[in-house]
Amino acid sequence: MAPLIAVEEVDKTFESGAHGVRALDRVSFDIEEGSFVSLVGPSGCGKSTLLKIISGLIPASRGAVRVGGRLVDGPLANVGMVFQAPVLLKWRTVAENVMLPVEFAGRNPRDYEDKARSLLALVGLEDFYDEAPYRLSGGMQQRVSLCRALVTDPGILLMDEPFGALDAMTREELDLELLRIWGEKKMTVVFVTHNIQEAVLLSDTVVVMSARPGRVLERLPIALERPRTIEMTSGAEFGRYGLVIRAMLGRSAANPPVKLSA
Amino acid sequence: MKLSLKDIAEPVLFFLALLVVWEVLVKFARVPSFILPPPKDLYHAFTAKFFILGHHSLITFAEAVGGFALSLVLGVAFAIAVVYSRHLHNTIYPLIVILYAMPKSAFAPLMVIWIGYGLFSKIAIAFLVAFFPIVVNTVVGLKEVEPELIDLARINRGSAWGVFKKIRLPNALPYLFAGVKVALVLSVTGAIVAEFVAANEGLGYLVLQANYSLDTAFALVILLILALLSLLLFAVVEMLQRKWIPWSAEVRQIEGSF
Repeated sequence: MAPLIAVEEVDKTFESGAHGVRALDRVSFDIEEGSFVSLVGPSGCGKSTLLKIISGLIPASRGAVRVGGRLVDGPLANVGMVFQAPVLLKWRTVAENVMLPVEFAGRNPRDYEDKARSLLALVGLEDFYDEAPYRLSGGMQQRVSLCRALVTDPGILLMDEPFGALDAMTREELDLELLRIWGEKKMTVVFVTHNIQEAVLLSDTVVVMSARPGRVLERLPIALERPRTIEMTSGAEFGRYGLVIRAMLGRSAANPPVKLSA
Repeated sequence: MKLSLKDIAEPVLFFLALLVVWEVLVKFARVPSFILPPPKDLYHAFTAKFFILGHHSLITFAEAVGGFALSLVLGVAFAIAVVYSRHLHNTIYPLIVILYAMPKSAFAPLMVIWIGYGLFSKIAIAFLVAFFPIVVNTVVGLKEVEPELIDLARINRGSAWGVFKKIRLPNALPYLFAGVKVALVLSVTGAIVAEFVAANEGLGYLVLQANYSLDTAFALVILLILALLSLLLFAVVEMLQRKWIPWSAEVRQIEGSF
């Protein structure tokens, strides 16, 4: 079966002054439909940039991304996005925030009321339907932003360090919630994080990236059984995955790649 | 935030004490009343010329609010135009900045030549001084939108109009209100300065008349009325702010609800 998302030799150089800043260096990997893939790497390795290129929000300098066999040359439809910050609109209620993508897509929010309600129930926020977002805690706000991403039933969910700003306990809670929702909705998730443990806990595959310019160091399948639990994180197998990834990142930092094109 | 009895009593007692000290000091130090009249004289001036004050206050009020209203409508329109059009941003915006760098009150004599002696030259000056804070604040508010929200709109095929209506405009409201507060006070000042230059009515004209006749008590009363006028306008804006943007950080801070 052909992969849902194919990243092919993607380069990205940002123009800045006389010299461009190279963010991505011939990045290639595939993502199977319905799988959970994490992009892990040191900060500044271009993983967020890669996510934006996959979504079609910014173009690659070279190379291509295909989704469902079609070349991505503009913002993808049928995609949900969750960012590091919840970026909720202060002037809207929780439910109205969840409706924002529906409104942008030119559909009638009325038709999505039940949907919004059930999504909020899914993350335990059914009682906050009409609440102002700023009255919610950081973790709750991020749950709302997850509901907002899911309201249009996207086939692909792109998440850019979504729980990076939360405390460790809330992060774990949300990781498990996300896994539960992913299990129910059967969508493809591309998840950017710099937290190795989080990546191992969540993913089918961890794509390990080097420091800038970001290259794919390894495409590591995680063979842990599902459903994943917090208890697993203290197991030996889980720990081995973590060590492997850490070693790869350490090696790449110690020995920067030799430029072939001198 | 709940006001306690103490929060109300304290300022009231303070100002009463201030008046008493003023009255007593002026009397014992034998300060001539054209330098500093006692509060009692101010009260007499106020009651004796109540209707004159009312008439001229209305004039100044109309000038200030007229100029302000004009600056609000044109300022917001300009801000939107500048944010959405690169051409206007490159041409009109520098023009506004140059205009801002000039002392607007220096236009007052010119306005008399251009527009004439009446109400409209005062409205023009009030407009000029109030215009800039409105434009600048609105431009910032329209622009300072989280880029993620724009991404969200693009992914969902949102229109430019949708982004404007649902994100940029509401986002600009707290900034606009901050500009409005500055603009209102400035527009009162603008109207007064314009009246100083050439007028036969308004509080600015009246305060000059009081000065010519060394009627310091009356001049001070006029200044107090001007303060009241500005405070009144300020209070209206605060009220609207609570009503229209209860979600803004500023309002939430005032009300202590978060």
